[in-house]
Amino acid sequence: MPLLTVEHLRAGYGPIEVLKDISLEVNEGEIVTMIGANGAGKTTTLMTISGAVRARAGRIVFQGAEIQNRPPHEIVRLGLCQSPEGRKIFPRLTVLENLELGAYTRNDTAGIKRDIDHAYELFPILRERKDQFGGTLSGGEQQMLAVARALLGRPKLLLLDEPSLGLAPLIVLKIFDVIRKLNAEEGMSVLIVEQNARLALKLAHRGYVMETGVITMSDKASSLLNDQRVKDAYLGE
Amino acid sequence: MKSSWLPRLKPLIPELLGLLVLVLFPILPLGWRALHLPEVILFVPVQEFLDRVASQLPIIFILTILALGLNVIVGYTGLLHLGMGAFFGIGAYLTGILTVPGYPFECGFWLALVLSTAGAALAGVMLGAPTLRLRGDYLALVTLGFGEVVRFSLRNLEEITAGTRALNPIPPPNLRWLGLTPGSWSDDMRPFYYLTLVLLVGIVWLLRNLERSRLGRAWVAIREDELAATCMGINAPRAKLAAFAVGSALAGLAGSLYATKLTTTAGPDAYDFNRSIIVLACVILGGLGSIRGVIVGSMLLIGFDNVFAPMLDGVIQKANINPTGSRFLMFTNWRLIIFGLALVLMMRYRPAGLLPAKRGVGL
Repeated sequence: MPLLTVEHLRAGYGPIEVLKDISLEVNEGEIVTMIGANGAGKTTTLMTISGAVRARAGRIVFQGAEIQNRPPHEIVRLGLCQSPEGRKIFPRLTVLENLELGAYTRNDTAGIKRDIDHAYELFPILRERKDQFGGTLSGGEQQMLAVARALLGRPKLLLLDEPSLGLAPLIVLKIFDVIRKLNAEEGMSVLIVEQNARLALKLAHRGYVMETGVITMSDKASSLLNDQRVKDAYLGE
Repeated sequence: MKSSWLPRLKPLIPELLGLLVLVLFPILPLGWRALHLPEVILFVPVQEFLDRVASQLPIIFILTILALGLNVIVGYTGLLHLGMGAFFGIGAYLTGILTVPGYPFECGFWLALVLSTAGAALAGVMLGAPTLRLRGDYLALVTLGFGEVVRFSLRNLEEITAGTRALNPIPPPNLRWLGLTPGSWSDDMRPFYYLTLVLLVGIVWLLRNLERSRLGRAWVAIREDELAATCMGINAPRAKLAAFAVGSALAGLAGSLYATKLTTTAGPDAYDFNRSIIVLACVILGGLGSIRGVIVGSMLLIGFDNVFAPMLDGVIQKANINPTGSRFLMFTNWRLIIFGLALVLMMRYRPAGLLPAKRGVGL
């Protein structure tokens, strides 16, 4: 049974229907990516999964339980942690306080401390910056903090929304390396939404291509990478 | 264990020194009189000043409690609330209704204090539950409107609130076991002074613990970024409602003390928009989210308003500078301009307040 199943999901804002019919799956230990142009509904899909946007129809099943339209804080407690689009770190809290808030749902003090140390090992720059305000970090450091903060919630499935947004290519590679490592060494399942289709498809095991609220293609990431239509539309070859 | 609490007290030294001064203060005016020191030194009427400060400090303590309540909502949680005066009034009128002879309750100060606090908290939840999903400006407008609704209700529900005549007399607290008769509350300022000081200190202690608790961290996270806070698993609607409840409860407690101190509910206009704004100014001047700052801000602004301005007017009158009674030469008429100027200067030179919160979480 897949870790996460989304079936015929519809959602939107007011009169605008953004998601018309979305179905996807994430299996245990898998990195899955959703690629697509601006406005295709990638972020809305993640927001609907994490409960911030109401699902109008369809089902979202996580670990066998239906979670559509449950309040977002309950969904986090089930092990679905999101690093939202635009990073959304807490600017006037220190790096350490940001990480501690990531562990808000937990109360195993020793475990939290161990996981913060682990986050510092993944992103050593955060240890150097731990007493600095989040808002004073560079864009890349903020993205690292956002990912590390999501990890502090001990996710069973990590949702990443555009981790490459506005970052230098070298920094993006660094962050993607960490995600690959988390998946390979710790078996972390990841659903990652990206505009940088090439990078995302190189990282992921499987991919979905999204266009104006519907999934148009789904395949192994390596096959999508070699698909002529994907190449034309998203890889600029 | 013994060695662990001493270093922990170290960062509290300013608070403890301030507390020591406040505990000893009532002795000052009495001592001044007993030692036959001159009443006026260099045109400064020292004796009058000390007497006035001592008599106004309980009011300042009470309004500080109100400001600390507002600080929970505006400072920690970042929800702009422009109707705090209404909850202050709800506390005052609940105490009036519960204690004044002629109403069926006459339940005494302590029970009235508890019920007024709880009643105001309930009113806060009732206002918050339907409106807290509004953001920013809209929430500010709703709280502002609520403030006016409460004031007009107090004025027009004459059968219950006695309209502009206000409810009185509100009896003093019953502390006979300390040897305090009802008369000693009106003859001597000290019982009420220490009662309000003890309550203020207790509330500061509670708030210090609250701001480090899970709920306190959730409030700050919501203030910084509500969406991100939700992604951390924080139940944002509930945390905001809790902030409203705690803030309104403190306002109700302050209102109850205020009415008891004045022995009357003082009429609906004591709880108008002006009150809400001045309390907000105390919080902003002192430093949003900083307990220390809010205390200093309240002491300065309310002290200026209740002690300094009336005294300066007294001096002007006595010196016969203003024989025609021109309104421009009455200092009290300039006080709002001076408030505004103080806020403008603060925003230019200390934008985070006089004593800003050290960190976002106020540690």
